[in-house]
Amino acid sequence: MSFTDTMDQEKLYALLAREMAGILTTEEAEDLRQLLQQYPDASYIREVFSQNWTPAGKQYSPQQVQQLMEKHQQRLQQISEAEPYTEAPEPRRHWGWYSGIAAGLLILLALGGYWRYGQQKKTPVVLSQLVTDKRMRSQILLPDGSRVWLNAGSKLDYPPQFAAHQPREVTLEGEAFFVVQPDAERPFRVHTKTFQIRVLGTSFNVRAYPLEDSAVASLVQGSVEVVLNDASKQVVSLKPNEKLTVPVHPATEQTENIVAVHTPLVIYKSKLTTLQDSIITETAWVQNKLAFKHLQLDKVVTMLEQWYGVEINFSNNRKKQLYFTGVFESESLEEVLNALETTLSFSWHKDADGKIWIN
Amino acid sequence: MGENEQIKALFERVCYDNSVQAYNELYIALCTRLIHFSASIVSSYHLAEEIVSDVFLSLWQKKNELSHVQNPVVYLYVSTKNRSLNTLQEQKRHQHDSLDELNTDMLAIAPEAENGMVSAEVSQKIERAIRSLPARCQLIFRLIKQDRLSYREVAELLNISTKTVDAQLTIAVKKISLAIRFDLSDETAQTYLRLDS
Repeated sequence: MSFTDTMDQEKLYALLAREMAGILTTEEAEDLRQLLQQYPDASYIREVFSQNWTPAGKQYSPQQVQQLMEKHQQRLQQISEAEPYTEAPEPRRHWGWYSGIAAGLLILLALGGYWRYGQQKKTPVVLSQLVTDKRMRSQILLPDGSRVWLNAGSKLDYPPQFAAHQPREVTLEGEAFFVVQPDAERPFRVHTKTFQIRVLGTSFNVRAYPLEDSAVASLVQGSVEVVLNDASKQVVSLKPNEKLTVPVHPATEQTENIVAVHTPLVIYKSKLTTLQDSIITETAWVQNKLAFKHLQLDKVVTMLEQWYGVEINFSNNRKKQLYFTGVFESESLEEVLNALETTLSFSWHKDADGKIWIN
Repeated sequence: MGENEQIKALFERVCYDNSVQAYNELYIALCTRLIHFSASIVSSYHLAEEIVSDVFLSLWQKKNELSHVQNPVVYLYVSTKNRSLNTLQEQKRHQHDSLDELNTDMLAIAPEAENGMVSAEVSQKIERAIRSLPARCQLIFRLIKQDRLSYREVAELLNISTKTVDAQLTIAVKKISLAIRFDLSDETAQTYLRLDS
Protein backbone atom coordinates (compact mmCIF):
# COMPACT_ATOMS: atom_id res chain seq x y z
CA MET A 1 0.00 0.00 0.00
CA SER A 2 1.53 3.30 -1.05
CA PHE A 3 1.55 6.63 0.72
CA THR A 4 -1.06 8.08 -1.67
CA ASP A 5 -3.28 5.13 -0.89
CA THR A 6 -3.19 5.94 2.79
CA MET A 7 -3.90 9.59 2.12
CA ASP A 8 -6.79 8.66 -0.12
CA GLN A 9 -8.20 6.28 2.44
CA GLU A 10 -8.06 8.90 5.18
CA LYS A 11 -9.93 11.22 2.85
CA LEU A 12 -12.42 8.48 2.12
CA TYR A 13 -13.20 8.05 5.83
CA ALA A 14 -13.60 11.79 6.26
CA LEU A 15 -15.97 11.95 3.29
CA LEU A 16 -18.00 8.98 4.50
CA ALA A 17 -18.28 10.69 7.89
CA ARG A 18 -19.50 13.91 6.29
CA GLU A 19 -21.91 12.06 4.07
CA MET A 20 -23.38 10.37 7.14
CA ALA A 21 -23.77 13.78 8.81
CA GLY A 22 -25.50 15.04 5.66
CA ILE A 23 -23.07 17.89 5.03
CA LEU A 24 -21.31 16.71 1.88
CA THR A 25 -20.75 19.55 -0.63
CA THR A 26 -21.20 18.90 -4.36
CA GLU A 27 -17.46 18.95 -4.78
CA GLU A 28 -16.92 16.47 -1.96
CA ALA A 29 -19.65 14.25 -3.39
CA GLU A 30 -17.71 14.09 -6.65
CA ASP A 31 -14.48 13.28 -4.76
CA LEU A 32 -16.30 10.53 -2.92
CA ARG A 33 -17.66 9.10 -6.17
CA GLN A 34 -14.13 8.87 -7.59
CA LEU A 35 -12.69 7.36 -4.44
CA LEU A 36 -15.43 4.74 -4.41
CA GLN A 37 -14.41 3.72 -7.91
CA GLN A 38 -10.86 3.39 -6.67
CA TYR A 39 -11.85 1.42 -3.55
CA PRO A 40 -14.96 -0.57 -4.44
CA ASP A 41 -14.96 -2.34 -1.07
CA ALA A 42 -15.85 0.99 0.49
CA SER A 43 -19.24 0.85 -1.24
CA TYR A 44 -20.29 -1.87 1.14
CA ILE A 45 -19.11 0.15 4.13
CA ARG A 46 -20.91 3.20 2.79
CA GLU A 47 -24.09 1.15 2.43
CA VAL A 48 -23.77 -0.07 6.03
CA PHE A 49 -23.54 3.52 7.25
CA SER A 50 -26.62 4.46 5.28
CA GLN A 51 -28.73 1.80 7.01
CA ASN A 52 -30.91 2.42 10.05
CA TRP A 53 -29.00 1.61 13.19
CA THR A 54 -30.54 0.75 16.52
CA PRO A 55 -29.37 0.98 20.12
CA ALA A 56 -27.37 -2.13 21.03
CA GLY A 57 -28.54 -1.86 24.64
CA LYS A 58 -32.02 -0.95 25.80
CA GLN A 59 -34.59 -0.15 23.16
CA TYR A 60 -37.95 1.44 23.86
CA SER A 61 -40.94 -0.11 22.06
CA PRO A 62 -43.81 2.17 21.01
CA GLN A 63 -45.80 0.76 23.96
CA GLN A 64 -43.03 1.69 26.39
CA VAL A 65 -42.84 5.17 24.89
CA GLN A 66 -46.58 5.42 25.42
CA GLN A 67 -46.18 4.38 29.05
CA LEU A 68 -43.44 6.97 29.55
CA MET A 69 -45.73 9.54 28.00
CA GLU A 70 -48.63 8.60 30.27
CA LYS A 71 -46.43 8.72 33.34
CA HIS A 72 -45.16 12.09 32.24
CA GLN A 73 -48.67 13.39 31.68
CA GLN A 74 -49.69 12.35 35.18
CA ARG A 75 -46.82 14.38 36.61
CA LEU A 76 -47.74 17.27 34.34
CA GLN A 77 -51.31 17.14 35.51
CA GLN A 78 -50.28 17.18 39.17
CA ILE A 79 -48.21 20.26 38.55
CA SER A 80 -50.95 22.00 36.55
CA GLU A 81 -53.47 21.31 39.32
CA ALA A 82 -51.11 22.77 41.88
CA GLU A 83 -50.84 25.95 39.85
CA PRO A 84 -53.12 28.80 40.89
CA TYR A 85 -55.66 30.18 38.45
CA THR A 86 -53.63 33.29 37.69
CA GLU A 87 -52.87 32.06 34.22
CA ALA A 88 -56.53 32.02 33.31
CA PRO A 89 -56.63 34.93 30.82
CA GLU A 90 -54.42 33.06 28.37
CA PRO A 91 -55.76 32.98 24.83
CA ARG A 92 -56.74 29.35 24.43
CA ARG A 93 -56.41 25.78 25.50
CA HIS A 94 -54.42 26.52 28.62
CA TRP A 95 -56.26 23.79 30.46
CA GLY A 96 -54.80 21.08 28.33
CA TRP A 97 -56.60 18.14 26.86
CA TYR A 98 -57.55 16.60 30.18
CA SER A 99 -60.07 19.29 30.77
CA GLY A 100 -60.99 19.18 27.08
CA ILE A 101 -63.23 16.28 27.96
CA ALA A 102 -64.88 18.22 30.75
CA ALA A 103 -65.22 21.23 28.46
CA GLY A 104 -66.88 18.99 25.89
CA LEU A 105 -69.45 17.98 28.48
CA LEU A 106 -70.12 21.57 29.41
CA ILE A 107 -70.73 22.59 25.84
CA LEU A 108 -72.93 19.58 25.46
CA LEU A 109 -75.05 20.71 28.39
CA ALA A 110 -75.24 24.23 27.06
CA LEU A 111 -76.22 23.22 23.56
CA GLY A 112 -78.12 20.04 24.36
CA GLY A 113 -79.49 18.40 21.24
CA TYR A 114 -77.86 20.93 18.97
CA TRP A 115 -75.80 18.69 16.77
CA ARG A 116 -77.16 18.01 13.35
CA TYR A 117 -76.34 14.75 11.80
CA GLY A 118 -74.98 14.76 8.28
CA GLN A 119 -74.51 18.46 8.03
CA GLN A 120 -70.98 19.31 7.11
CA LYS A 121 -69.84 22.85 6.95
CA LYS A 122 -66.47 22.47 5.30
CA THR A 123 -64.00 25.04 6.45
CA PRO A 124 -60.56 24.66 4.90
CA VAL A 125 -58.18 23.40 7.56
CA VAL A 126 -54.53 22.55 7.33
CA LEU A 127 -54.30 18.87 8.11
CA SER A 128 -51.63 17.14 10.09
CA GLN A 129 -50.47 13.80 8.82
CA LEU A 130 -49.07 10.78 10.59
CA VAL A 131 -47.29 8.34 8.29
CA THR A 132 -45.77 4.99 9.13
CA ASP A 133 -43.27 3.10 6.99
CA LYS A 134 -43.14 -0.62 6.68
CA ARG A 135 -41.93 -2.24 9.94
CA MET A 136 -43.00 0.83 11.86
CA ARG A 137 -46.09 1.20 14.02
CA SER A 138 -47.07 4.39 15.71
CA GLN A 139 -49.54 5.82 18.15
CA ILE A 140 -51.03 9.24 18.46
CA LEU A 141 -53.28 11.15 20.80
CA LEU A 142 -55.69 13.27 18.77
CA PRO A 143 -56.58 16.77 19.99
CA ASP A 144 -59.89 15.49 21.41
CA GLY A 145 -58.21 12.80 23.53
CA SER A 146 -59.03 9.95 21.14
CA ARG A 147 -56.20 7.54 20.63
CA VAL A 148 -55.12 6.04 17.34
CA TRP A 149 -52.68 3.21 16.76
CA LEU A 150 -51.35 3.26 13.21
CA ASN A 151 -50.11 0.01 11.70
CA ALA A 152 -47.18 -0.29 9.27
CA GLY A 153 -47.37 1.41 5.87
CA SER A 154 -50.33 3.62 6.77
CA LYS A 155 -51.31 7.26 6.66
CA LEU A 156 -53.71 9.24 8.84
CA ASP A 157 -54.80 12.80 8.08
CA TYR A 158 -56.33 14.77 10.95
CA PRO A 159 -56.82 18.43 11.78
CA PRO A 160 -54.58 19.97 14.44
CA GLN A 161 -57.76 21.01 16.27
CA PHE A 162 -61.27 19.64 15.87
CA ALA A 163 -63.75 22.44 15.32
CA ALA A 164 -66.61 22.88 17.79
CA HIS A 165 -70.11 21.67 16.83
CA GLN A 166 -68.78 19.80 13.82
CA PRO A 167 -68.01 16.14 13.24
CA ARG A 168 -64.46 15.14 14.05
CA GLU A 169 -63.17 13.89 10.70
CA VAL A 170 -60.02 11.96 9.88
CA THR A 171 -58.91 10.17 6.73
CA LEU A 172 -57.14 6.83 6.74
CA GLU A 173 -55.15 4.89 4.21
CA GLY A 174 -53.89 1.60 5.63
CA GLU A 175 -54.76 0.15 9.03
CA ALA A 176 -55.55 1.82 12.34
CA PHE A 177 -57.16 1.01 15.67
CA PHE A 178 -59.25 3.79 17.20
CA VAL A 179 -60.33 4.39 20.77
CA VAL A 180 -62.64 7.34 20.36
CA GLN A 181 -63.29 9.80 23.15
CA PRO A 182 -67.08 10.04 23.54
CA ASP A 183 -68.44 13.40 22.44
CA ALA A 184 -72.08 13.30 21.37
CA GLU A 185 -71.87 16.77 20.00
CA ARG A 186 -69.11 15.96 17.58
CA PRO A 187 -69.50 12.51 16.05
CA PHE A 188 -66.24 10.95 14.96
CA ARG A 189 -65.84 9.94 11.31
CA VAL A 190 -63.16 7.92 9.64
CA HIS A 191 -62.99 8.29 5.87
CA THR A 192 -61.39 5.64 3.69
CA LYS A 193 -61.46 5.13 -0.03
CA THR A 194 -64.15 2.47 0.29
CA PHE A 195 -66.34 3.58 3.16
CA GLN A 196 -66.71 6.03 5.98
CA ILE A 197 -67.38 5.07 9.56
CA ARG A 198 -69.58 7.10 11.86
CA VAL A 199 -68.92 6.73 15.56
CA LEU A 200 -69.91 8.15 18.87
CA GLY A 201 -67.51 6.71 21.44
CA THR A 202 -66.05 3.31 20.89
CA SER A 203 -63.03 1.24 19.92
CA PHE A 204 -62.66 -0.29 16.51
CA ASN A 205 -60.15 -1.29 13.88
CA VAL A 206 -60.09 -0.22 10.25
CA ARG A 207 -58.01 -1.96 7.62
CA ALA A 208 -58.02 -0.24 4.24
CA TYR A 209 -54.71 -0.70 2.47
CA PRO A 210 -54.84 0.59 -1.11
CA LEU A 211 -53.30 -2.56 -2.59
CA GLU A 212 -55.54 -5.07 -0.83
CA ASP A 213 -58.65 -6.63 -2.26
CA SER A 214 -60.93 -5.74 0.63
CA ALA A 215 -61.45 -3.09 3.29
CA VAL A 216 -62.48 -4.26 6.75
CA ALA A 217 -64.06 -2.48 9.71
CA SER A 218 -63.93 -4.44 13.02
CA LEU A 219 -65.79 -3.28 16.08
CA VAL A 220 -64.54 -4.16 19.56
CA GLN A 221 -66.76 -1.95 21.73
CA GLY A 222 -69.58 0.54 21.31
CA SER A 223 -71.41 0.97 18.05
CA VAL A 224 -70.54 2.26 14.61
CA GLU A 225 -72.20 2.73 11.28
CA VAL A 226 -70.33 2.00 8.09
CA VAL A 227 -71.42 4.04 5.10
CA LEU A 228 -70.24 2.77 1.72
CA ASN A 229 -68.76 5.31 -0.63
CA ASP A 230 -70.30 3.78 -3.75
CA ALA A 231 -73.49 4.97 -5.41
CA SER A 232 -75.64 2.85 -3.09
CA LYS A 233 -74.50 4.78 0.02
CA GLN A 234 -75.56 1.67 1.87
CA VAL A 235 -75.39 1.96 5.67
CA VAL A 236 -74.43 -1.05 7.78
CA SER A 237 -74.54 -0.96 11.58
CA LEU A 238 -72.06 -3.09 13.51
CA LYS A 239 -72.44 -4.57 16.97
CA PRO A 240 -69.48 -5.33 19.23
CA ASN A 241 -67.42 -8.28 18.05
CA GLU A 242 -68.60 -7.92 14.46
CA LYS A 243 -66.66 -6.97 11.39
CA LEU A 244 -67.66 -5.85 7.94
CA THR A 245 -65.61 -6.87 4.92
CA VAL A 246 -66.04 -4.85 1.75
CA PRO A 247 -64.30 -6.31 -1.30
CA VAL A 248 -62.69 -3.73 -3.55
CA HIS A 249 -60.76 -3.80 -6.79
CA PRO A 250 -57.27 -3.16 -5.50
CA ALA A 251 -55.76 0.05 -6.78
CA THR A 252 -53.23 -0.54 -9.52
CA GLU A 253 -50.57 1.89 -10.56
CA GLN A 254 -52.64 3.02 -13.53
CA THR A 255 -55.79 3.76 -11.60
CA GLU A 256 -54.23 5.06 -8.44
CA ASN A 257 -54.33 8.68 -9.52
CA ILE A 258 -57.84 8.56 -10.85
CA VAL A 259 -60.48 9.21 -8.26
CA ALA A 260 -62.50 6.07 -8.81
CA VAL A 261 -64.68 4.42 -6.28
CA HIS A 262 -65.44 0.93 -7.44
CA THR A 263 -68.69 -0.82 -6.85
CA PRO A 264 -68.14 -3.36 -4.12
CA LEU A 265 -68.67 -6.95 -5.11
CA VAL A 266 -70.33 -8.69 -2.16
CA ILE A 267 -70.05 -7.15 1.27
CA TYR A 268 -70.37 -9.40 4.30
CA LYS A 269 -70.56 -9.24 8.07
CA SER A 270 -68.77 -11.79 10.23
CA LYS A 271 -67.56 -12.31 13.80
CA LEU A 272 -64.13 -11.22 14.95
CA THR A 273 -61.64 -14.08 15.15
CA THR A 274 -60.34 -15.03 18.57
CA LEU A 275 -57.32 -17.15 19.26
CA GLN A 276 -56.32 -18.72 22.58
CA ASP A 277 -59.55 -17.26 24.01
CA SER A 278 -58.27 -13.77 24.46
CA ILE A 279 -56.38 -12.65 21.38
CA ILE A 280 -58.49 -11.01 18.69
CA THR A 281 -56.54 -11.47 15.49
CA GLU A 282 -57.92 -8.31 13.90
CA THR A 283 -56.49 -6.11 16.64
CA ALA A 284 -53.53 -8.16 17.88
CA TRP A 285 -51.11 -5.82 16.11
CA VAL A 286 -52.03 -3.08 18.58
CA GLN A 287 -50.45 -5.23 21.32
CA ASN A 288 -47.44 -5.81 19.09
CA LYS A 289 -48.58 -9.34 18.31
CA LEU A 290 -48.73 -10.86 14.89
CA ALA A 291 -51.72 -13.19 14.91
CA PHE A 292 -53.65 -15.07 12.26
CA LYS A 293 -56.14 -17.90 12.31
CA HIS A 294 -56.70 -20.23 9.40
CA LEU A 295 -55.36 -17.61 7.03
CA GLN A 296 -54.19 -18.28 3.49
CA LEU A 297 -50.41 -18.19 3.15
CA ASP A 298 -50.41 -15.34 0.62
CA LYS A 299 -52.32 -13.19 3.14
CA VAL A 300 -49.91 -14.26 5.91
CA VAL A 301 -47.04 -13.27 3.63
CA THR A 302 -48.54 -9.79 3.11
CA MET A 303 -48.69 -9.39 6.90
CA LEU A 304 -45.08 -10.52 7.26
CA GLU A 305 -43.95 -8.12 4.52
CA GLN A 306 -45.55 -5.20 6.33
CA TRP A 307 -44.42 -6.35 9.74
CA TYR A 308 -40.79 -6.94 8.89
CA GLY A 309 -40.40 -4.68 5.84
CA VAL A 310 -39.16 -7.43 3.55
CA GLU A 311 -40.12 -8.74 0.14
CA ILE A 312 -41.45 -12.29 0.03
CA ASN A 313 -42.15 -14.13 -3.22
CA PHE A 314 -43.60 -17.47 -4.14
CA SER A 315 -41.61 -19.65 -6.50
CA ASN A 316 -44.51 -22.08 -6.34
CA ASN A 317 -47.90 -20.35 -6.57
CA ARG A 318 -49.78 -23.41 -5.34
CA LYS A 319 -48.30 -22.77 -1.88
CA LYS A 320 -50.40 -19.61 -1.66
CA GLN A 321 -53.41 -21.78 -0.90
CA LEU A 322 -51.98 -23.26 2.32
CA TYR A 323 -53.67 -22.16 5.56
CA PHE A 324 -51.92 -21.22 8.79
CA THR A 325 -52.73 -20.28 12.36
CA GLY A 326 -50.23 -18.61 14.68
CA VAL A 327 -49.41 -15.94 17.24
CA PHE A 328 -45.99 -14.33 17.30
CA GLU A 329 -44.73 -11.64 19.57
CA SER A 330 -41.02 -10.93 19.58
CA GLU A 331 -39.84 -13.50 17.07
CA SER A 332 -37.59 -12.49 14.19
CA LEU A 333 -38.76 -13.01 10.63
CA GLU A 334 -36.50 -16.06 10.37
CA GLU A 335 -38.03 -17.57 13.50
CA VAL A 336 -41.55 -17.04 12.18
CA LEU A 337 -40.72 -18.57 8.81
CA ASN A 338 -38.95 -21.48 10.46
CA ALA A 339 -41.93 -22.09 12.72
CA LEU A 340 -44.29 -22.15 9.74
CA GLU A 341 -41.82 -24.30 7.84
CA THR A 342 -41.96 -27.00 10.53
CA THR A 343 -45.43 -27.89 9.19
CA LEU A 344 -43.38 -29.35 6.33
CA SER A 345 -45.75 -27.91 3.77
CA PHE A 346 -43.20 -25.51 2.31
CA SER A 347 -39.57 -24.43 2.56
CA TRP A 348 -38.01 -21.00 2.24
CA HIS A 349 -34.70 -19.34 1.50
CA LYS A 350 -33.26 -15.87 1.26
CA ASP A 351 -31.52 -14.85 -1.97
CA ALA A 352 -28.49 -12.58 -2.38
CA ASP A 353 -30.68 -9.46 -2.55
CA GLY A 354 -32.33 -10.29 0.77
CA LYS A 355 -35.61 -11.32 -0.88
CA ILE A 356 -37.37 -14.30 0.62
CA TRP A 357 -38.61 -17.11 -1.57
CA ILE A 358 -41.22 -19.69 -0.67
CA ASN A 359 -40.86 -23.00 -2.50
CA MET B 1 -40.41 19.21 5.92
CA GLY B 2 -37.23 17.84 7.51
CA GLU B 3 -37.25 16.41 10.99
CA ASN B 4 -35.54 19.42 12.46
CA GLU B 5 -38.04 21.85 10.95
CA GLN B 6 -40.84 19.65 12.23
CA ILE B 7 -39.44 19.82 15.75
CA LYS B 8 -38.98 23.55 15.41
CA ALA B 9 -42.58 23.93 14.26
CA LEU B 10 -43.84 21.84 17.20
CA PHE B 11 -41.74 23.85 19.63
CA GLU B 12 -43.16 27.10 18.28
CA ARG B 13 -46.70 25.79 18.62
CA VAL B 14 -45.92 24.96 22.25
CA CYS B 15 -44.46 28.40 22.95
CA TYR B 16 -46.89 30.57 21.01
CA ASP B 17 -50.13 28.59 20.98
CA ASN B 18 -49.74 26.63 24.23
CA SER B 19 -50.58 23.61 22.10
CA VAL B 20 -50.81 20.45 24.20
CA GLN B 21 -50.96 18.38 21.04
CA ALA B 22 -47.65 19.79 19.79
CA TYR B 23 -46.14 19.34 23.24
CA ASN B 24 -47.13 15.65 23.28
CA GLU B 25 -45.75 15.11 19.79
CA LEU B 26 -42.53 16.80 20.78
CA TYR B 27 -42.22 14.52 23.79
CA ILE B 28 -42.80 11.39 21.70
CA ALA B 29 -40.39 12.55 19.00
CA LEU B 30 -37.50 13.23 21.36
CA CYS B 31 -37.92 11.35 24.65
CA THR B 32 -36.05 8.14 23.86
CA ARG B 33 -33.07 9.94 22.34
CA LEU B 34 -32.83 12.25 25.33
CA ILE B 35 -33.23 9.33 27.74
CA HIS B 36 -30.33 7.46 26.14
CA PHE B 37 -28.23 10.62 26.26
CA SER B 38 -29.09 11.24 29.90
CA ALA B 39 -28.57 7.58 30.81
CA SER B 40 -25.04 7.71 29.44
CA ILE B 41 -24.34 10.45 32.00
CA VAL B 42 -26.22 9.13 35.05
CA SER B 43 -25.77 5.41 34.28
CA SER B 44 -29.42 4.58 34.91
CA TYR B 45 -32.38 4.41 32.55
CA HIS B 46 -34.74 4.82 35.46
CA LEU B 47 -33.14 8.08 36.56
CA ALA B 48 -32.81 9.22 32.96
CA GLU B 49 -36.54 8.75 32.35
CA GLU B 50 -37.28 10.98 35.32
CA ILE B 51 -34.75 13.58 34.26
CA VAL B 52 -36.19 13.82 30.75
CA SER B 53 -39.68 14.06 32.19
CA ASP B 54 -38.40 16.94 34.37
CA VAL B 55 -36.93 18.62 31.29
CA PHE B 56 -40.32 18.49 29.60
CA LEU B 57 -42.18 19.63 32.72
CA SER B 58 -39.94 22.64 32.90
CA LEU B 59 -40.50 23.25 29.18
CA TRP B 60 -44.26 23.39 29.79
CA GLN B 61 -43.88 25.72 32.75
CA LYS B 62 -41.53 28.06 30.94
CA LYS B 63 -43.05 27.77 27.49
CA ASN B 64 -44.01 31.42 27.26
CA GLU B 65 -40.48 32.59 28.00
CA LEU B 66 -38.83 30.39 25.41
CA SER B 67 -39.75 32.08 22.15
CA HIS B 68 -36.17 33.31 21.83
CA VAL B 69 -34.81 29.77 21.62
CA GLN B 70 -33.09 29.46 18.25
CA ASN B 71 -32.61 25.73 18.18
CA PRO B 72 -35.13 23.71 20.23
CA VAL B 73 -33.21 20.45 19.74
CA VAL B 74 -30.03 21.91 21.19
CA TYR B 75 -32.05 23.59 23.94
CA LEU B 76 -33.58 20.27 25.02
CA TYR B 77 -30.29 18.38 24.81
CA VAL B 78 -28.50 21.07 26.82
CA SER B 79 -31.30 21.07 29.44
CA THR B 80 -31.03 17.29 29.63
CA LYS B 81 -27.25 17.45 29.97
CA ASN B 82 -27.42 20.05 32.75
CA ARG B 83 -30.10 18.24 34.71
CA SER B 84 -28.24 14.96 34.34
CA LEU B 85 -24.99 16.48 35.60
CA ASN B 86 -26.84 18.08 38.52
CA THR B 87 -28.44 14.79 39.43
CA LEU B 88 -25.08 13.08 39.34
CA GLN B 89 -23.60 15.76 41.54
CA GLU B 90 -26.39 15.38 44.10
CA GLN B 91 -25.94 11.63 44.13
CA LYS B 92 -22.21 11.43 44.32
CA ARG B 93 -21.77 14.62 46.26
CA HIS B 94 -18.94 15.83 44.14
CA GLN B 95 -18.52 18.24 41.30
CA HIS B 96 -19.46 17.11 37.81
CA ASP B 97 -19.37 19.77 35.24
CA SER B 98 -18.18 17.82 32.26
CA LEU B 99 -19.00 14.64 30.46
CA ASP B 100 -15.85 12.81 31.47
CA GLU B 101 -17.38 9.67 32.86
CA LEU B 102 -19.84 8.56 30.25
CA ASN B 103 -21.36 5.14 30.55
CA THR B 104 -20.89 3.90 27.03
CA ASP B 105 -23.19 0.90 27.50
CA MET B 106 -26.00 3.38 27.01
CA LEU B 107 -24.47 4.75 23.83
CA ALA B 108 -23.67 1.71 21.73
CA ILE B 109 -25.54 1.40 18.47
CA ALA B 110 -25.22 -1.07 15.61
CA PRO B 111 -26.90 -1.73 12.28
CA GLU B 112 -30.02 -3.85 12.52
CA ALA B 113 -28.82 -7.36 11.85
CA GLU B 114 -30.59 -9.50 9.29
CA ASN B 115 -31.96 -6.64 7.27
CA GLY B 116 -30.45 -8.25 4.20
CA MET B 117 -27.40 -6.02 4.21
CA VAL B 118 -25.72 -6.75 7.50
CA SER B 119 -25.32 -10.14 9.13
CA ALA B 120 -25.52 -10.57 12.89
CA GLU B 121 -21.79 -11.22 12.89
CA VAL B 122 -20.89 -8.00 11.09
CA SER B 123 -23.27 -6.12 13.35
CA GLN B 124 -21.43 -7.47 16.40
CA LYS B 125 -18.07 -6.54 14.88
CA ILE B 126 -19.33 -3.01 14.44
CA GLU B 127 -20.60 -2.81 17.99
CA ARG B 128 -17.22 -4.01 19.26
CA ALA B 129 -15.41 -1.45 17.10
CA ILE B 130 -17.60 1.33 18.49
CA ARG B 131 -17.09 0.17 22.07
CA SER B 132 -13.32 0.32 21.56
CA LEU B 133 -13.51 4.06 20.84
CA PRO B 134 -13.00 6.73 23.51
CA ALA B 135 -16.29 7.56 25.27
CA ARG B 136 -16.46 11.11 23.92
CA CYS B 137 -15.97 9.81 20.37
CA GLN B 138 -18.75 7.24 20.86
CA LEU B 139 -21.06 9.98 22.07
CA ILE B 140 -20.31 12.14 19.02
CA PHE B 141 -20.87 9.20 16.69
CA ARG B 142 -24.19 8.42 18.28
CA LEU B 143 -25.40 12.01 18.30
CA ILE B 144 -24.69 12.32 14.57
CA LYS B 145 -25.64 8.87 13.31
CA GLN B 146 -28.53 7.98 15.59
CA ASP B 147 -29.87 11.28 16.89
CA ARG B 148 -29.18 13.00 13.54
CA LEU B 149 -27.78 16.15 15.11
CA SER B 150 -25.69 18.43 12.90
CA TYR B 151 -22.00 19.22 13.44
CA ARG B 152 -22.99 22.64 14.75
CA GLU B 153 -25.51 21.22 17.19
CA VAL B 154 -23.05 18.68 18.58
CA ALA B 155 -20.37 21.37 18.83
CA GLU B 156 -22.74 23.63 20.76
CA LEU B 157 -23.91 20.86 23.05
CA LEU B 158 -20.42 19.65 23.95
CA ASN B 159 -18.66 23.03 23.85
CA ILE B 160 -16.19 21.94 21.20
CA SER B 161 -15.42 23.16 17.68
CA THR B 162 -17.08 21.71 14.58
CA LYS B 163 -13.55 20.79 13.44
CA THR B 164 -13.23 18.54 16.47
CA VAL B 165 -16.63 17.00 15.71
CA ASP B 166 -15.48 16.29 12.15
CA ALA B 167 -12.19 14.77 13.30
CA GLN B 168 -13.83 12.60 15.97
CA LEU B 169 -16.50 11.35 13.59
CA THR B 170 -13.86 10.48 10.99
CA ILE B 171 -11.99 8.45 13.63
CA ALA B 172 -15.17 6.53 14.40
CA VAL B 173 -15.93 5.88 10.73
CA LYS B 174 -12.38 4.69 10.14
CA LYS B 175 -12.41 2.32 13.07
CA ILE B 176 -15.72 0.80 12.03
CA SER B 177 -14.67 0.57 8.37
CA LEU B 178 -11.45 -1.24 9.25
CA ALA B 179 -13.36 -3.62 11.48
CA ILE B 180 -15.68 -4.75 8.72
CA ARG B 181 -13.69 -4.47 5.54
CA PHE B 182 -11.53 -7.49 6.34
CA ASP B 183 -14.58 -9.35 7.29
CA LEU B 184 -16.55 -9.52 4.09
CA SER B 185 -17.40 -13.05 3.14
CA ASP B 186 -15.68 -14.44 0.05
CA GLU B 187 -18.77 -13.97 -2.00
CA THR B 188 -19.33 -10.38 -0.99
CA ALA B 189 -15.61 -9.74 -1.23
CA GLN B 190 -15.64 -10.70 -4.89
CA THR B 191 -18.33 -8.16 -5.50
CA TYR B 192 -16.87 -5.37 -3.47
CA LEU B 193 -13.20 -5.97 -2.80
CA ARG B 194 -10.37 -5.12 -5.03
CA LEU B 195 -7.30 -5.73 -2.93
CA ASP B 196 -5.01 -2.80 -3.31
CA SER B 197 -1.71 -4.63 -3.34
